[in-house]
Amino acid sequence: MAQPYHVTFVEKELARRRRSWFRRLARLIGLAIIVAFLFAFCAVAKIGGATILSRTPVFDDERQHFLHASIGSEPSSGIPYVLWQALPVLFPEHFAHRKDYAAFGFQYEEDEHGKTDLPVGISRRPQLGIDLVWFNCAACHAGTYRMSDQDAPVLVAGMPSNNFDLHRFITFFLEASTSSQLAPGEVFDAAAASGNRLDLLDKLIWRVFVLPRVREGLVATREALRPLLDRQPDWGIGRVDTFNPYKTGQMNMDPNGLSDEEVIGASDFPSIFLQQPREGMKLHWDGNNKSLAERNLSASLGAGVTPDTVDHYNLERVARWLGGLTPPKSPHTPPADAVERGRNHYMMLCADCHGYQGNDGYVFEGIYLGEVQDIYDIRTDVRRLNSYMIEFNERQLSELFAGTPYQFKQFEKTNGYANMPLDGLWLRGPYLHNGSVPTLADLLLEPHLRPSAFLRGSDVVDGEKGGFRSPDCPSDTPVNDGFCYDTTLPGNGNGGHEYGTGLNAAARADLLAYLLTF
Amino acid sequence: MTDPIFTALKFRNLTVKNRVFRSNISGRFDNEDGSLTQTRINWETKFAKGGVGAVISSYVPVMMEGRIIANYATIHRDDFIPLWRKLGESVRAHGSKFILQLSHSGRQMDLPGATNQARQTLSSTNSYEPLHGFPTRAMSTGEIAQTVRAFARGAWRAREAELDGVELHAANGYLFTQFLSSGINDRTDQYGGSLRNRARFLLEVIAAIRAQVGHDYHLQVKLSAVDRNNVIPWEGKGNTLADTVKVAKWCEAAGADGLHISTGSLFPHPMNPPGDLPLETLATTYDAMISSGVHGFRNFLFFRYPMLRPLFNWLWFRIKGDRRNEGISLDECRAINEAVSIPVINTGGFQTASFVRNALETGALDGVSIARALVANNDLVKHWFAGSEQPPRPCTYCNKCLLNAPKNPMGCYEESRFDSREQMLEELMSIYETRGDLRIPARAAE
Repeated sequence: MAQPYHVTFVEKELARRRRSWFRRLARLIGLAIIVAFLFAFCAVAKIGGATILSRTPVFDDERQHFLHASIGSEPSSGIPYVLWQALPVLFPEHFAHRKDYAAFGFQYEEDEHGKTDLPVGISRRPQLGIDLVWFNCAACHAGTYRMSDQDAPVLVAGMPSNNFDLHRFITFFLEASTSSQLAPGEVFDAAAASGNRLDLLDKLIWRVFVLPRVREGLVATREALRPLLDRQPDWGIGRVDTFNPYKTGQMNMDPNGLSDEEVIGASDFPSIFLQQPREGMKLHWDGNNKSLAERNLSASLGAGVTPDTVDHYNLERVARWLGGLTPPKSPHTPPADAVERGRNHYMMLCADCHGYQGNDGYVFEGIYLGEVQDIYDIRTDVRRLNSYMIEFNERQLSELFAGTPYQFKQFEKTNGYANMPLDGLWLRGPYLHNGSVPTLADLLLEPHLRPSAFLRGSDVVDGEKGGFRSPDCPSDTPVNDGFCYDTTLPGNGNGGHEYGTGLNAAARADLLAYLLTF
Repeated sequence: MTDPIFTALKFRNLTVKNRVFRSNISGRFDNEDGSLTQTRINWETKFAKGGVGAVISSYVPVMMEGRIIANYATIHRDDFIPLWRKLGESVRAHGSKFILQLSHSGRQMDLPGATNQARQTLSSTNSYEPLHGFPTRAMSTGEIAQTVRAFARGAWRAREAELDGVELHAANGYLFTQFLSSGINDRTDQYGGSLRNRARFLLEVIAAIRAQVGHDYHLQVKLSAVDRNNVIPWEGKGNTLADTVKVAKWCEAAGADGLHISTGSLFPHPMNPPGDLPLETLATTYDAMISSGVHGFRNFLFFRYPMLRPLFNWLWFRIKGDRRNEGISLDECRAINEAVSIPVINTGGFQTASFVRNALETGALDGVSIARALVANNDLVKHWFAGSEQPPRPCTYCNKCLLNAPKNPMGCYEESRFDSREQMLEELMSIYETRGDLRIPARAAE
């Protein structure tokens, strides 16, 4: 090829420099294209691969499905699995310096590999290549019992989560949202320390996308919940305020616009055994819905799903299983004659409202079973009833799942609390909707004789009084283990439901003996 | 009492009638092959007519590879000797001496012309000239030796032409400066490194000239007292006054008869010639140099667009600061004069009689060399002799003469000094009255 002709040396030099610059530019562009391609390839491979290869875990076993499968809360409310694992490293003081979430009352099972990495009630679902984790039904509806302090806890699916301190868990996240510990460098170090070392591409994605989004989500949640929580007493272990967080979080109601009567609604996690016989009964503590499907969907919203993210298939599979889930047989063995005498008292005083325990299981029969008992009759604490507002009810019906086959139709405002079947009663202490009475024996006492402050959080069965061991506690002194429940605080009242309190002591003992067989 | 300005200056081999030298300045008067023209004779002679003691020729290359600008007369060929002889005769006819300035541009080649445009210029270094980006190649030792011989032959031709002496242009950024300056010379051989090594090329030339023309022929050396090479801020500062004092002593020891002190390691330099730098003028003339260097177009943009001019002005004038224009390097010259025993002349804005007189009386210098003030007033010396401090229309130091040099005839372009533009043009054109004998080229043999 002929050499180009240059009139002067300067022209030749300028041409050489132009060529050189062009080559450099071409090299830079080429390099940029290659890097961009590699980055895109890696990103696509990572996201696509993670999406394809890391689907939401599927469980053949129905119980495992209930305990660990996703119902769709992760995309809307969850945090990345890597961050979940790193948080105990980042905030050891909140985790009792453990590497897991037991400090919040989460339960871990053993599998063939040892202790599972995620606790019961926490499920996993990939979203845009990032594994996210958050609640499923079992977070609030799986608990443990022990017959003595020395026994290992036995996990029971469907019983109230008597260990889970949801209030403290939420409070921790609200505090963490503004902590410098969530800076990328700190998180990456903690992730590595918890066995999830991020590569360079991951770190880049986390810096520009994942962590800012997590932070923004947490801060937004904090903005919505903090003013509400500031107006409420600590819920305590095994309890949740079902509707108030929904008002401020999802419906953007002003927490300061809620009246004192409406702003507190903490109550016990309910048991969810044997759901099928409950179809048509007034469900929820206040009986505001008689549709199991709607109740289930509503409860899943409380777990963090949204109408857009809910996994209907998994949720309905859970519902089908819960339909026939029987509680474990009561371990109590009261004297048979006392049980028999007690049964008579029960049939007269209680069965119309609650059904009864038959020889072959629980009998869901009673003329008032599943109906709402007016608050003027039952006279238990009214806060939970009042927290379900007419305005909230209207917005539930008009907004949630609107335009879909799942749109709510059955919710209604009631004026009392529903009469619940008492299957699995031995696992459902403390008692009443707000868990204000520690044992069955105490429930048969007149309200002023019931404990005014007692310890919640134990899973050791109380063989004499029914429920779990709940020693009295000074409400004004912090306790090391468990939560001191103060019945004098708003929403914690232990009055009402005085049925059977008029019996003499012997009759109450007989009635208790019968109740212990539930 | 005798006026020191009009006292003869005696060098070892030359006596000049007064203390005023026309410093080297020229236009593109000559032929492309380096032969001088009647225009040059007219140019140099008019200063002799004006009464200067000696005319130092403009820059005269000893090799075609060392031209700053094409169309400058050279002394690289023996057949040019008669032409130079004629020039010498013309100057001497008015009682002045003519000193031919032997030069080599090195990398400071403003307009390479047809001869040099297709090659890199030779220098001490491979680094391109920083301001314009003139392409450069470091000389081999063989090329240095060849250049030394070229200077010696140039001096011999000057003597053969019966000129009164020669001056080595070792100042202002040309080839000798490129060897002398620590800010430019990056060689690692015997011509680089220490000051003595950097001065080796100049001292070899002096020795070669003495060997060629003997010790009875006038030889003076023009040096920059201080380099101030960092006009482009990242360039090294170059030689200090102490360095130049040493070099001056070595020149004297090597056989120089006189020294001519200037300043700055490139030309033009913010301190040489001292004064203004009207970028609006450069915007109309620098286009002639755009293709000479790889930075030419960049520079032109700075001159062309007023918005960019402040940046260049800052770059340029930060070096000079508030120094006066007249006698800008006088103090440095004084230091050198005190260190040597040969006469020392100084250039740098002189045009006030009392100032020059005082400089002479205080021993700062032995003579002054003047370019722009004489271009403005060819008869400056006569004004002084008549007792005037300055001519009625002194040089304004505008430097428009300098900035027009690459493109237009050499002369004063400061219109305020003339009654009209026509008068200015008439003055510019006055040197072209060649009236030479024209002849018809011979016919080729058939």
